[in-house]
Amino acid sequence: MELCLDERSDQDLVRAACRGDRTAYAGLVRRHYNHVFLVCLGVLGKVHDAEDVAQDAMIKGFERIRQLRDGAQFGGWVVAIARNLSINLLRQRKSTEKALGTGGPPEPARAEASHEDLRQAVARLPWDLRLPLVLYYFDGQNVKAVAEKLDISTSGVYLKLRTAIKELHDILTMQGETP
Amino acid sequence: MNRPCPNMQDKIIDLMLGALDADEARAVQEHLDRCADCRQYLQSLRAQGEALVGLGQEMGADMEARQAKVIGVLETVSPVEAGTDRIFPFIGGYIRTAVAAVLILGAGVAIGRWTSPRPVDVEQLRAQLETSVAASLRPVVRESILAEVDQRLQAGLSANDEKLRAEVVEQVRRDLRVLAAQFAANSEKLVDERFAEIVQLIEAGRRTDRERVAKALEQITTRTGMGFQTLAARANEPPATLQN
Repeated sequence: MELCLDERSDQDLVRAACRGDRTAYAGLVRRHYNHVFLVCLGVLGKVHDAEDVAQDAMIKGFERIRQLRDGAQFGGWVVAIARNLSINLLRQRKSTEKALGTGGPPEPARAEASHEDLRQAVARLPWDLRLPLVLYYFDGQNVKAVAEKLDISTSGVYLKLRTAIKELHDILTMQGETP
Repeated sequence: MNRPCPNMQDKIIDLMLGALDADEARAVQEHLDRCADCRQYLQSLRAQGEALVGLGQEMGADMEARQAKVIGVLETVSPVEAGTDRIFPFIGGYIRTAVAAVLILGAGVAIGRWTSPRPVDVEQLRAQLETSVAASLRPVVRESILAEVDQRLQAGLSANDEKLRAEVVEQVRRDLRVLAAQFAANSEKLVDERFAEIVQLIEAGRRTDRERVAKALEQITTRTGMGFQTLAARANEPPATLQN
């Protein structure tokens, strides 16, 4: 299957995908996968989990494409699927950990700062703080765009970003002070 | 690392995010010029932000490979499985919502009627009472009638409608009066009949006894007469030894 970008609109690609055109849906995947992945990463905090759930979300989007009434809304629609799947997985994990009595606080990282430390620190944030942080820093979106993607106010995004940045800094500082 | 001034921590983050207006930003900047700890805090936050951007780029480096993997999985999904038709695709969103609301309300009403207590049917109760009261006057039957009346009375009394309850009580009272009157009348008639039968039996017994006594006297009279005649005849005959 060719990997070139499809210049057709989301609406046209959705219409074609409804007829079973997988090439058209592949165009939608190339256009929206990054955002779907980052949302999954923002909620789940782990790359491997985010990869799995983002893939599930894109496949489910193809299976349910005929339920989408407005093709222009595909981006938000598939991101909503990804977000719900991620939150469900997170809840399942938490209930399993609660039942098994496992899943305490993660072990402190090494003292020296690295991307791995930062990755772990980001993973320790609550998902509702991590998601705007990931969209803002990883995806390079401005506050207004993040607010639209998350369907919350810009002041709400500022509040969550401020809290996330502060908590992340505290985690990294504590890790740095851990002997 | 020293902590920043507590009242400045949020403002420093807002400054970094660009969330302050010009006057607020100038005020924070003036504080930063004077406070080394807050200045260091801002530098640390900026370094953290740059690290986050770098981490995002690192994670995004494999995006094409991830996309290709998803597209590869798409090949295994049959177009037939790519969703299902709506049952009524011509029905719009508002109409579907309205239909759903009607169905839910209808189901609620049906469940409510099905589960709610049924009101007492006065006519049916009256007919049952009349039938039961008129059926029989024997004690066992009467007991069952009274039990049923009591049960219906309890059912009537438990009804919420006061008027209905009063009607039921009044009807039960009327029926009980009719029952008592019928019972009394029939009891007197039954006693009279029994008494007449006993009198007839006594009279019949008396007649039988009289007839038996009369027959016995007649037989005694007959036998006594014959005995006297025999004795008289024997008395008139001469002794045999004297003749020889």
